[in-house]
Amino acid sequence: MTPERWQKVDEVLQGALDRSPAERAAFLSEACLDDEELQRETSSLIQAFDEAGDFIEEPAIARDALVIISDHDQRLGSEIGPYEIIGRIGGGGMSDIYLARDPRLDRLVALKILPAYFVSDGERLRRFQVEARAASALNHTNIVTIYEVGQAEGIHFIAAEYIDGPTIRERIKAEDLSLGEVLEVAAQMMCGLTAAHTAGIIHRDIKPENIMQRHDGVVKILDFGIAKLLEPSSDISASTIRTQTEVGTLLGTISYMSPEQVRGLNVDPRTDIWSCGVLLYEMLAQLRPFDGQTQADTVVAILQRESPPLFGVEPHPDPLLRQIQAVVSKALRKEPVERYQTAADLRADLEKIRRELERGNLSANQAVINSQINVKELQGLKLRADAPRPRHQIWIAIVSVVLFAAIVTAAFLANHFKSSHNATAASKPYLQMSEPEQMAFVAAQEQRIANMMGDRPARLNDDAIRAIKRHVDRYAARQNSSKLKPGEEDLRTAYARARPQIPVIAQAFAARRIPVVIGVYLPMVESAYQPCYENKIGAKGLFQFLPATAEQYGVTRADMCDVQKMAPAAAHYIADRMAELGDDSQSMTLVLLSYNRGPDDVRESLRRLREIDANYERNFWTLFANRDKLDQSFQNESAGYVPDFFAAAIIGENPDVFDLQMPALSSFATGASGK
Amino acid sequence: MKDDKIAARFIRMMMTLSASGVTELLRDWQRGDRAALEKLTPLIHDELRRIAHRYAQRERNGHTLQTTALVNEVYLRLARHEKPGWQDRAHFFAATAQVMRHILIDHARRRHYLKHGGELQQIPLAEASLMSEQRATELVALDEALDELKELDPRKSSVVELRYFGGLSLEETAKVLEVSLMTVRRDWRAAKAWLFRRISNT
Repeated sequence: MTPERWQKVDEVLQGALDRSPAERAAFLSEACLDDEELQRETSSLIQAFDEAGDFIEEPAIARDALVIISDHDQRLGSEIGPYEIIGRIGGGGMSDIYLARDPRLDRLVALKILPAYFVSDGERLRRFQVEARAASALNHTNIVTIYEVGQAEGIHFIAAEYIDGPTIRERIKAEDLSLGEVLEVAAQMMCGLTAAHTAGIIHRDIKPENIMQRHDGVVKILDFGIAKLLEPSSDISASTIRTQTEVGTLLGTISYMSPEQVRGLNVDPRTDIWSCGVLLYEMLAQLRPFDGQTQADTVVAILQRESPPLFGVEPHPDPLLRQIQAVVSKALRKEPVERYQTAADLRADLEKIRRELERGNLSANQAVINSQINVKELQGLKLRADAPRPRHQIWIAIVSVVLFAAIVTAAFLANHFKSSHNATAASKPYLQMSEPEQMAFVAAQEQRIANMMGDRPARLNDDAIRAIKRHVDRYAARQNSSKLKPGEEDLRTAYARARPQIPVIAQAFAARRIPVVIGVYLPMVESAYQPCYENKIGAKGLFQFLPATAEQYGVTRADMCDVQKMAPAAAHYIADRMAELGDDSQSMTLVLLSYNRGPDDVRESLRRLREIDANYERNFWTLFANRDKLDQSFQNESAGYVPDFFAAAIIGENPDVFDLQMPALSSFATGASGK
Repeated sequence: MKDDKIAARFIRMMMTLSASGVTELLRDWQRGDRAALEKLTPLIHDELRRIAHRYAQRERNGHTLQTTALVNEVYLRLARHEKPGWQDRAHFFAATAQVMRHILIDHARRRHYLKHGGELQQIPLAEASLMSEQRATELVALDEALDELKELDPRKSSVVELRYFGGLSLEETAKVLEVSLMTVRRDWRAAKAWLFRRISNT
C-alpha cells in the first residue's frame, strides 16, 4: 500500500468509526462505491479495532519497569580504562559498583561508576574529586584503599580495594553477632578512624552499610569523606528516605547523623564518634537509638531525646553491661565536648571491656555473659523498667514524679505569666504604633510563630519583615467595615468563625505530629474560615482542596466542606509534603510553601539556590531574599503565601492588638497534645 | 549484536557525552542530528532506571505507576541547570519514548535469541526472567509493525511511540506533536486497529 492509498483508507476508516456500529456497513458501501478493495481493507480494520480491546492501552513501562531497572549489564565484559569488568557487585541506589580486574597488577578492584547526573554537575564532580584524592592518601588496614580516581572515555570512576565479605548491615540482619565480635568490630573501626582523623579527614557518613568485614575478620571503613558527597542532592535523598520508610526498612542515613550534623552546623571528627555510638548501639540492641516514624521524628529524637537504655534499665545491676552502657552513652552525648574527644579514647574503653570480658571479671553473670554470647541473648537479659524494685527506689520514684510535676507546673506558670506579660507590653493597638514599632512588633511575632511551628529561628532581613508587614497591614485595614472592598469581610467576622472549628483541626494535626498552629492558620489564609468556600478553579472547603486531591486523601467531593473529614486529610497531605521535602521539612515554612506550591517546585528553588550559594539556609526566607533568581510562579504567588500565613497568625495570636474581642486562636486548641 | 558490541556502543555513547547541556542536545536532535540522541540515551537511561526503581517499589506497595510523572522527573533532573521551555520538554518526551523503546526492544530481542539458542547464551538467567518469552515476541512484533506503519504514516507511528513507550496521555501527545487532541484520538484508534491486525496476522 502507498501512503496516498493509506490516506484514503484512513479517511473512510475514521468516518466509519465516528458512526455507531449499526450504521457502519451502510456508510462503507456508500463511501467506497465500487472500490471493493477499499471496502475490504476498511472492514478488516474496523473488525481489528473491535477486537483490539485494551491492546497497547497500558504503557509499556507499566509492564516492563523491571527491565528498565535491571537492564544495565551492558558493561559486563567491557573495559573501563585499564580495568576489565567482571561482574556486578552492587549499587542501584547511588552508583553502580562493579568487580573488575586490573591486569597491570593482576588484582581485583571494586570499580564505582559515578552516575550520569553526578558527572553532569561540574562543580560537584570537582569537589568530589578533591575529597576522593585526599581520601586516597589514607593508608590503613581498617580503611578501604582508594587506588585511583579516574576518568576514561567520559566515564568517571573510583577504583578501590575489593573487599570480599559482608557489610555490617548484613551482619546485623543475620543476627549472629556475638558480644566479642561487636567489641572487635568497634575497636577496629576506631583504629581506622584514628588514622583518618589524624590526617584531618572526617568520614561524615559512618553507618552499617559503609563498614565491611573481610572473611578473615578485618574491618574496613568505606568511602571516607566522599560518601555524603556521592549522595544525590537533598531532593533525591528525601525521596529515597520516603521510599525506604514505605517498605519499612531503614530510614535513610539520617539515623546516624550527629545533632550538629542534623542542624547543619560545621562538623569535626566528633561527629564520627557519635555515628559510631549509634552503630555500636544498633549492633548491641538490633535497633537504632534514635528512630521515628517520620524523618522529622528522628530529627527530634536525635536533638532532644536520650537513647533508651540498652539493657532495659540504667544503671543495670550487672557491672559489665553497665560499663558497656556507659561507653555508648558517652559516645552519644548531644554536646560534642561531652563526648569521647578522640576515637582512640573510645577504643581504649572498648578494649578495657574486652579484656575484662575475657578475664571473666566483673560480670555478675559470668556463666552467661562471655564474649561468645550472641547479642540477641544479651537482650534477653534486659530488665523491664517496671520490674519490682526495692522499696526505697519506689519512694525515690514517687518523689521524683512529684518533683517533676512541680517543676513542670512552675515552668508552665512562669511561661504563662511571661506570655501574658508580653501581651500587655504589646497591647498598644497596631494601628497606633509608629512604623519602626510596627516593624519591631512584626519581627518579634514572626519569631514567636516560627517557634510555634518548630522552625529553627532564622534572623529575617528587613525585606522579609516588610513583606510580612505588608500582609499584616492589608489585614489590619479590614477592621473597619466602611473600608471593605467588595468580597472582603471584617476581620472580626472571619476570626470569630474560626473558634468552633479549631479543636477538631488541632486534634487532626496533632495526630500527625504537625505543628497545630499550621492547622489553625492555614484555613485562615485559604478560606478565611468560610466553611464551604469555593474558588474559581474548583478548590473547596476550609483547606481549599481540589476535588481530585481530596479524593486522593479519601474525602469525597460531597464531604469537602465537612471539617471532621477535611482536617485529617489536610494534616495527612501536609505530612506527605513533609516526607517529600525530607531534610528540608525541618523548616516548617518550607512545608507551608509546598502546601501552596508543591514540593517539587520548592526543591527546584532550593536547588537553584544551591548553585548560587552552597551554604544557603534551607528556609523560605532565603528563597525570598533570592526571589529574583527564582521562577515566575514563585514571584507571582508563592512569595506572598508564607507572609500571608504569618500575617494571619500574628493577628490571630495577638487579637487585642488588632481590636478583636477573643483570646488567641491557638488557645482553643485544647485536647491536642501536639507541640 | 554481540554483548561486547553492545558494550562498545554504550561506551561510545558515554564517550561522546560531552559537557553540552541536555537542552542543547535536544535541540540538536530536533534539528536532525542523530548523534545527539545517542549522547542523550545513556543519560536518560541512567535516570530512568534509578527512578523506575522507586516507582516500581511504590507500585509494589499498591500505588500506581505514573509514567508521565516519571518522565517529568527524569527531565527535571537532567535539565536542571537550564531553563527549558515547553518545546524542549516536548522534545524530551519524544526522546525518552525512543530511548524507552530501544531499551525494551533490545532486551526483548536478546530474550528472544536466548530462547532460541542464539549466540547470547551468557545472558544471566535472572535477567531472562524479567520478561516472558511471550512478551518478548509481542514486543519484537510490535516494533517491526511500528516501523512499517512509519513508512505509511509517520505521525501515527509517533503517536503510538509517545503513548505506548513514552507513557504520554492523549493531551500530552497532542502537545508534543503540535496537533489537535482530536487528531491524536483519530490517529490512535486507526493505528491501534492497523497494528493489531498486522500483529495478529503474523
